[in-house]
Amino acid sequence: MINPLIYFLLFLKASLFSTGGFSNLPSLHQDLTGNGWAKESVFGQSIAIGQISPGPNGLWVISLGYLTYGYLGAFLALIAVIIPALLVLAISAGYTRIEHRAWVQGAMHGVSLAVVGLLLTVVWTILRQPGVDWKALLIAVGAFALASSRKVNIPIILGLAGLAGYLLYR
Amino acid sequence: MKLQEPAPGKWQLFRIWASIGLQSFGGGASTTLLIQRAFIHKHKWLSIEEFLHLWNLCILTPGINLIALTVLIGRKLGGAWGIVVSLVGLLLPSATITCLITAGFSSIQHLPVVQAVLRGVVPATAGIMLLVGLNFALPLIRKSHKEGIFYLLASSVLMIACALAVILLKFSVIIVVLASVFLGALFFSSKSDVPLLQQEQREQR
Repeated sequence: MINPLIYFLLFLKASLFSTGGFSNLPSLHQDLTGNGWAKESVFGQSIAIGQISPGPNGLWVISLGYLTYGYLGAFLALIAVIIPALLVLAISAGYTRIEHRAWVQGAMHGVSLAVVGLLLTVVWTILRQPGVDWKALLIAVGAFALASSRKVNIPIILGLAGLAGYLLYR
Repeated sequence: MKLQEPAPGKWQLFRIWASIGLQSFGGGASTTLLIQRAFIHKHKWLSIEEFLHLWNLCILTPGINLIALTVLIGRKLGGAWGIVVSLVGLLLPSATITCLITAGFSSIQHLPVVQAVLRGVVPATAGIMLLVGLNFALPLIRKSHKEGIFYLLASSVLMIACALAVILLKFSVIIVVLASVFLGALFFSSKSDVPLLQQEQREQR
């Protein structure tokens, strides 16, 4: 039997000690399977759904919540990912206090560079998944070109990519 | 400097975020690009430099960076209510759709058609993410170029080193970000980085 309060706190803990969308996975995996509240297979499913569904990839936990505890689980998971994000207000306030120091400017330039580097690792990780071949690389290049033209809507680009996938891999 | 448009009303802000939440199939890459398009390109409420600055603060925040970014943009454009309408606007539609997809997906995910379509969609999200990265990189490269060749070279090396540290050495993201904060403070802190206005303020103190 799932205890809603503990269930919520487990999600909150995982989110508070994570950065970015998927780093809360190990903690949730350990706690939920440890309590017998989640089957092994739901993790793979929810991550796959997080990749295609709208919104940040981190919303995969909503899918996990739904699969383990229905609509209540999805709702608790959503609240658990919103709360840590509000800490950005404190961080922003702290930053305004020290932003005039020269080292802060340098440090922020460093973070900006890390941001770009980290985005490149995401591109790399996606393209390293099994089933990605030269045709998939062409789709990636095509999506990049269409998106950078700024004339085509994102859902249309993804629709075309899905159609290409259907035609190439069915 | 581009002209800033007058700040949006609460209802308009909500509609923009909801439309981002509804359109951003394909996860975070699409969401980020849609936010860039809506708030920087279509309405000129933010510059890309400002956007990158807000994003830096989000990287330093635990949890999902995009939700923190929604909080910051919401506050900038509409105060406390701006935060609320932005969060509800982005998350309500996307969370609902995620639930519905979850309910339907488990029953159809093994169909070959679904697998084939996914094999097309997944690399496309990689292409979109690459564009998001490029949008972020351009102002950094421009700024580094102004500072001179050493600065540009050091910036490029740090950028690539961060990527390789995660890909090859499997460093955790937190370690990479903290190391970049440290190296940045060490190597990129030049006086010319601080805008003139801020230097004057500092001298007055």
